[in-house]
Amino acid sequence: MNTRQRTGVVLLALFLIAGVTIRLLISREFTAQGLRFDWPEFNILQLRFGAVESALLAGGCLGLSGLLLQALLRNPLAAPFILGLSAGAGLGATLAMYSAITFNAGVLGWIATALGVADGIVAGTIGSLAVLTIVYALGRRGGRIDPLTLVLAGTVVSSICGALTLLVQSMMPPASRGDSWTWFMGQIPEVPARGPAIAAALLLVIMGLLAWRRGRALDVASTSDDEAESLGVSLKRLRLVLFVGAGALASASVALCGPLAFVGFVAPHLSRLCLGSQHRALVPASVIAGAALLVWADAIRQAIDLGAGRLPIGVLTALIGGPVFLCILRSRRLVPGVWPC
Amino acid sequence: MLTLSNLSLRYGRHDALRDVTVKSARARVIALVGRNGSGKSTLLRLAAGLLAPTTGRIEWDGTDLRELSAVQRARRVAYVAQRPQLSIALTVTEAIGLGQFSALDSAANGRVVGEAIDQMQLASLAHRSFHELSAGEQQRALVARALVQHQRDGLLALDEPFSNLDPGEVNRVANVLRARAVAGALVLVAMHDLALADQISDEVWWLEQGKLIVAGAPAQVLTVERLRTVFGCEFARGSHGLALCIPDGRAGSIEGAQ
Repeated sequence: MNTRQRTGVVLLALFLIAGVTIRLLISREFTAQGLRFDWPEFNILQLRFGAVESALLAGGCLGLSGLLLQALLRNPLAAPFILGLSAGAGLGATLAMYSAITFNAGVLGWIATALGVADGIVAGTIGSLAVLTIVYALGRRGGRIDPLTLVLAGTVVSSICGALTLLVQSMMPPASRGDSWTWFMGQIPEVPARGPAIAAALLLVIMGLLAWRRGRALDVASTSDDEAESLGVSLKRLRLVLFVGAGALASASVALCGPLAFVGFVAPHLSRLCLGSQHRALVPASVIAGAALLVWADAIRQAIDLGAGRLPIGVLTALIGGPVFLCILRSRRLVPGVWPC
Repeated sequence: MLTLSNLSLRYGRHDALRDVTVKSARARVIALVGRNGSGKSTLLRLAAGLLAPTTGRIEWDGTDLRELSAVQRARRVAYVAQRPQLSIALTVTEAIGLGQFSALDSAANGRVVGEAIDQMQLASLAHRSFHELSAGEQQRALVARALVQHQRDGLLALDEPFSNLDPGEVNRVANVLRARAVAGALVLVAMHDLALADQISDEVWWLEQGKLIVAGAPAQVLTVERLRTVFGCEFARGSHGLALCIPDGRAGSIEGAQ
């Protein structure tokens, strides 16, 4: 790492530490004087640690997934939520849940159980990769990926997956549906489910190391297919492994917190802003940035009193990430295959 | 030694390349010429092992290039694309440094990049963003990247490396390519400038509609009669080489025509 990259990572780490500290100390109770910071009792602190754990894991997964998608698709607008991977993961997980209720014996029951492991991460990964395949096929024009067509295809496929998820949920017994509205808007659970949390942590470590090891290959993959192959990168293998990783990371974040808008989009861009475009440095930076963004968003929403409860986390991430997305969309340098930053 | 045997490539119903058989030893500059769409770039990409032929074999020193891994192939063949593409914001030095990806000797990497930058006279632009460069400067940076990657006795395949270059830059790139050939490399260049091909190449491969029509010394292949028949315009061959004659009869887009 060069000096700029080291400084960037340190800045992002400080941003993360500040966010975690504030999230741990900020009180949910409003007083007449406004916001209150305190060191809470043990059981409250446990809940806050739980929320921080959820945000760190889901944010890190989204940051890394977004970076991999942007690098492999050579598209600065790519992200798990925008391309519909999150919605695909949600549909996959919901279908797994429905299958587990409907088929509880025989081979189908066994398959349903396998797909439902860790709150449907396996099914979610299959769903997110299926969506990625469809969106990728729809986004190709004349042998090239058009960034805007890709985003448009992702938006439409995402809507279809969302509608199908609601359909499947409405077919399930009321007691099994859970709070679908809260899930759809995204949530930061204060008691994260063990299965998804462990799976997300493992995926982050494995995919983080793998992506870091292939960091220089990702730099080379930012050239054309011919150039990358001639420089020594086997694009097929690189894409296969890292696309599956990006789908699994998106699925883990959805299993933990539901579909969260724009975190996976903003985190890689924030990292590039801090430390440049080389992927060896961007991999840890995007994980830190994604985690920091979600922890900060969760801390900020504690400070917003709607009277009837807290602001859903997904609303906040969309309100922050949406304008950033529009700025990059309006960038004049956004042409197929060319990065705007 | 590069050996292309019965090489054909078909895209759907279209034959991009038909039954090309040709070979060349090292230490030569070979110009691939022909009209637009004649199959120059396709043959270059096949020779670099980037495309799988429908039929035939591509061998470098007896090894089928398609059977090698991407890294193994990159250690033997360096390729410069017609149009550069870079989707991330790298400096010129970083972009040229991508040529080191397959390098065995990482200790020498910094020195090799520095030498390539000097050879292409890009030192003053080294810390600029690659995207801020002009088309010609980007072209030189791509050649520099290929020089970083290229082993001295390997194959260097370049697709229109002289497009967008001013005469001084053409001279610089041509000299570097010739120097590589003298050092033992085989340099394959797809190009449109026939006068330049005549000057810098040891051999010319002439393609038409995906077929290799003739291969040989520049003076034997680039004859005035053949050029008149194919392009419908007049060329003149003088003591300084080949030159295009303009319609009113005055010779010479290239100096030295008589």
